[in-house]
Amino acid sequence: MRTFWLASYPKSGNTWMRILLANLVAGGGEAADINRLRGGFAGARPPFDSVTLIDSGLLSFDEIDALRPRVYEALAAGDAGDTTTDDGSHHHRDGADAPVHFVKVHDAYHLTSRGEPVLAGRRGPEGAVVIVRDPRDIAPSFAHHGRMDIDRTIAFMNDSDACFCGATDRGHQQLRQKLMRWSEHVGSWLAQRDLPVHLVRYEDLQRAPTATLRAALDFAGWPVSDTAIERAVALSAFDRVAAQERETGFREAPHKRSFFRRGEAGAWRSDLTAAQVARIEHDHAPMMQRLGYPLTSAPCLSEAG
Amino acid sequence: MYSYALSGLTVASEVPLPGAHAPPPGSPAADVTIRSARVPALLPGATAHGPTWQNADQHFLIRIPGVARFLLSGGRDIAFEPEAGADPADIPIFILGTVFGILLHQRGQIVLHASAVAVDGKAILFCGTSGAGKSTLAAALVQRGLPLVTDDLCALSLGRDGAATVHPDGRQLRLWSHAIDELALERGGRMRRRLEKYYVEPGGIHDQPLPLGAIYALREARPPHPPGISAPNIVDAVLTLRRHAYRPRLINRMGQDASYFRAATTIANATGIFRLTRPLSFKAMPAVLAQLEQHWCDIGLCQRAA
Repeated sequence: MRTFWLASYPKSGNTWMRILLANLVAGGGEAADINRLRGGFAGARPPFDSVTLIDSGLLSFDEIDALRPRVYEALAAGDAGDTTTDDGSHHHRDGADAPVHFVKVHDAYHLTSRGEPVLAGRRGPEGAVVIVRDPRDIAPSFAHHGRMDIDRTIAFMNDSDACFCGATDRGHQQLRQKLMRWSEHVGSWLAQRDLPVHLVRYEDLQRAPTATLRAALDFAGWPVSDTAIERAVALSAFDRVAAQERETGFREAPHKRSFFRRGEAGAWRSDLTAAQVARIEHDHAPMMQRLGYPLTSAPCLSEAG
Repeated sequence: MYSYALSGLTVASEVPLPGAHAPPPGSPAADVTIRSARVPALLPGATAHGPTWQNADQHFLIRIPGVARFLLSGGRDIAFEPEAGADPADIPIFILGTVFGILLHQRGQIVLHASAVAVDGKAILFCGTSGAGKSTLAAALVQRGLPLVTDDLCALSLGRDGAATVHPDGRQLRLWSHAIDELALERGGRMRRRLEKYYVEPGGIHDQPLPLGAIYALREARPPHPPGISAPNIVDAVLTLRRHAYRPRLINRMGQDASYFRAATTIANATGIFRLTRPLSFKAMPAVLAQLEQHWCDIGLCQRAA
């Protein structure tokens, strides 16, 4: 089976894409269970311990990063170990009904201290579908998810040292994942030359879901009929997944908060203050312009490049 | 040579193993010997391998990058060769974890990724992957006065009558500084220079083999799994025990499928394999402990002074 990364900064549509992919292979007209989504997750800890046999809880972040390429090589070779759990988390390997195995990853494309890609470069998954979203829409969504106020979230999105599970004084269920600044994150995936990349904009997925999903699947070499895509799009509609979350809860939701909040593009116009918009645009103008997110203000020239 | 009792075995080691207990007087000659020696980079005749390990018939080679290479032979001998620039103090830490866990697999023993305490003279095991909160839960119970049986690695044996016996390894608790602060425990020595993980002296330990009381597989409470204690059916119980072997992928590689199956069915029927689903927050800890104490009464392991 072929393996591809599903790479994105957090709150950029990765989960939505995973739901779409799950619904491509869900049988019987029933929507896929959002608590049993397919695919792997690069930040998961059990595959690391299973593949290396080493207790990751006894290793420093850098020691873990140095070994992570070996884990993703094994994963791409279909040998990620006994990583099934009984809580439905992130470890369901796709069955024979899905010709492509997508692995979610939130890490920026970064290197180990020895200069090796942490995500295994060409020796790991064979390509990456990179999902991006307007950072002005990411900020309020991320703030809600992380229970941070929007200003702190904007600062986090502009912090080169930003990561998930990076506190060194405690154990984490996931591996440390380097996010870096939003611009750096997206830029790292677009600039690397190890893997072919297919760029998906959240906004396009929303505006033209069928064509956008079709293009991503063509890139990954997953042949699928128009009918199947349209069915998956219908089953993955925001109202339907939000209804499922209300009914059963969603294991990836923040504590006592909903995951599927608004699912809109452009909601930042009402979610952010003018000062917040200006700050995000100041922080990320070049990358926003490159991705086609028009600025409301003139870009700050000192940030160019 | 230093002498220790670990997971029911007598160990002779060239290097001190911090936290391990001296063997009781009159212990038999060493079951396992640990010494420094040349260890090859490649194992001839390896039939299975991963990025850090190779398995041949009676030999198993594992490399902890930047620490050491370890060669485990016949379930009796552990040879280690430090890697360039290694901190010598790191070597015993990995011997007591990964290396000894693999050695127990090599000896054909049932070995679980679990921490355990003693309740009413019986061992209560908490299984979980790294980061699942086994040590923290054990520490909270030790704080309530229960003796510690083991932390992280738990060896089991099944008697002819099917009764399961747990072999304590007498180690200290090993906790992250955040957990130590949250539980208001006293921090002991630091485990590794580069890690904020510390030894914590348990109030009491149980260093004799003891019968198994119950096994709980830890799970975080997240939809669709509400908090609580449940008993999986026998099929799931078998899968649960396998999944919580110290290194699940070695079960098959070392031909242990039948013994894990037998252990799981026997344990599930005789004592019980349960799932403990709970929030991971420290705030929820008192409620989780109360729930456990109630459950012990329900399954006939009542603590007189809970």
